[in-house]
Amino acid sequence: MSDGQIVVSGLTKHYKLVKAVDNLSFTVQPGRVTGFLGPNGAGKTTTLRMLLNLVRPAAGTATIGGRRYADLPDPIRHVGAVLEASSAHKGRTGRNHLRVICRSAGIPLTRADEVLELVGITAAGRRKFKGYSLGMRQRLGIAAALIGDPGVLILDEPANGLDPEGIRWMRDLLKMLASQGRTILVSSHLLSEMELLADDIVIIAAGQLVQQGTVRQVVDSMAHGGRVRVRTPQAEELTTALKGTAEVQATGDGALLITGVEAPAVGAAALRAGVELHELVGERPDLEAVFLELTKGKAGIR
Amino acid sequence: MTTVQTAAPQRQRGSRPGALRLISAEIMKIRTTNTWWLFLLGMIVVTALAFTVNAVGHHYTLHPPLDQINQNSDAARQARAQAAAANTPAGLAKIAADLMTSGQFFGLLLAMILGILVVTNEFFHQTATTTFMTNPHRTSVILAKAVAALLFGVLFWLVATVLDLIATPVFLNSEHVSVSISQWTVVQSVLLNLVAFAMWAILGLGLGTLLRSQIGSVVTGTVLYLIGSAAVALIFQLIHNIYPHDWVLTAEVIAPAIASAVMITPGGQAFDHAPAQWVGAVVLIAWTVLAGGVGTWLTRRRDIS
Repeated sequence: MSDGQIVVSGLTKHYKLVKAVDNLSFTVQPGRVTGFLGPNGAGKTTTLRMLLNLVRPAAGTATIGGRRYADLPDPIRHVGAVLEASSAHKGRTGRNHLRVICRSAGIPLTRADEVLELVGITAAGRRKFKGYSLGMRQRLGIAAALIGDPGVLILDEPANGLDPEGIRWMRDLLKMLASQGRTILVSSHLLSEMELLADDIVIIAAGQLVQQGTVRQVVDSMAHGGRVRVRTPQAEELTTALKGTAEVQATGDGALLITGVEAPAVGAAALRAGVELHELVGERPDLEAVFLELTKGKAGIR
Repeated sequence: MTTVQTAAPQRQRGSRPGALRLISAEIMKIRTTNTWWLFLLGMIVVTALAFTVNAVGHHYTLHPPLDQINQNSDAARQARAQAAAANTPAGLAKIAADLMTSGQFFGLLLAMILGILVVTNEFFHQTATTTFMTNPHRTSVILAKAVAALLFGVLFWLVATVLDLIATPVFLNSEHVSVSISQWTVVQSVLLNLVAFAMWAILGLGLGTLLRSQIGSVVTGTVLYLIGSAAVALIFQLIHNIYPHDWVLTAEVIAPAIASAVMITPGGQAFDHAPAQWVGAVVLIAWTVLAGGVGTWLTRRRDIS
């Protein structure tokens, strides 16, 4: 599974007059969960579909373990993907849906029952797909992706339609799969969920790469040293003590918001000035704030 | 708590080669929905009805109700002449062939619609993504679908032929005529019927790959099949009125439904100035190859979303 690196290089796709994906390059490492983030219409789904040979790029390449998807022998043994929730015949049972995939990939049909159990819908397996809830459809999609026991998993908005318990289940499953050395690439716009799930993130907007790195790196890139919240009865003395090194703003509720320095520096300055502190909190922006800042103005309808 | 079993499923020992695997998967897709038995049921109903209508028609040809019409009228003379012609070995062979291919007209329509569904289901139910991810070689997938559609076309033909094979001798005996249904004229018609079922199933598949829309393809195909031949015949008749050469009428064979009729009608008697049977077969094959070829080419190029 060490060959599960995904490399996207110069990928471009036009639709009529719109550049859905514009010279996009990034890499995804094995053994980690990588969140693929972007506003609606940023080109996430198109990128994933180009990666899976479903959409033809106008330029650029996308490889998995050094090979294009179409060149992989028995691709579902290398790559599993969950693209849309409703991708099964309404009149076919979930189990038969999986068995058809097994059959066309030359995998024993009993594998269908194994993956059904793995995603916890064994009982629903013999029911027709049209009776499935959105959560069951997602689980069936994940089951289908796991049939070939692939080293690479690609999921497009897998949390859609899952209840909180389902989301937690999926988070645990994906983290465990990553810990086994697999490559997990998950697109989403649920940023709080991504903060809990992802190790690395790739942010795109308007078809272009905005930022790539670990969650920490990306958040820090926008944090500018963070922000410090202070409560003190001697606000004026502290403001004077910090003059020139930081910007101090008074909030309505009597606290001060200090930007430009870290919390230890504020504490040290207060100690030197003999200022009494009641509260000193270093505040970091969360992924959501960073994401909104990074993609500002690029999220419009295109 | 969820556990993931990581032991990679090994490829089935003695697993089939890729092509057979794909065909088998396509057949499984048809078998795991209601489609196949609904169509088989339809096939049985259509064959039974068609046989009944044909049998009644042939009964009156062989035994015209002469006591009900004026013995000296033209109608009576015509009926007597028809009965006499039908009672010859050639006439009886034609009747036997006709009965043995009962269910053909609507059966071919069912075969074509099945061919359409084999491919449009993938887009209608959004399973094309899974199908083409499991096998990114789209031409192989379409070819496997063509084989699956063809096999079901053959199955439909088999159902119709078995029913006809049971009912035809019963009818012929009850009419007190002696004719062998194993003579070449009859066998030839039954075999050409088989070719027609196979071709229309693949023609439907080609239409489906071309249009992708399930409803659009079914409506287009049905209209072309049911009304297309009449419309084409009318157009060529009009051209013939302006430009009266016999080959204009012969050229009607370019319409698939007419080509199919020419192919299965012995002795080039599908219509006035109809070409030989093999011409019908060639035209039908050409349409099948064209529809399937263009459809496959488009499927290879098109984005799946």
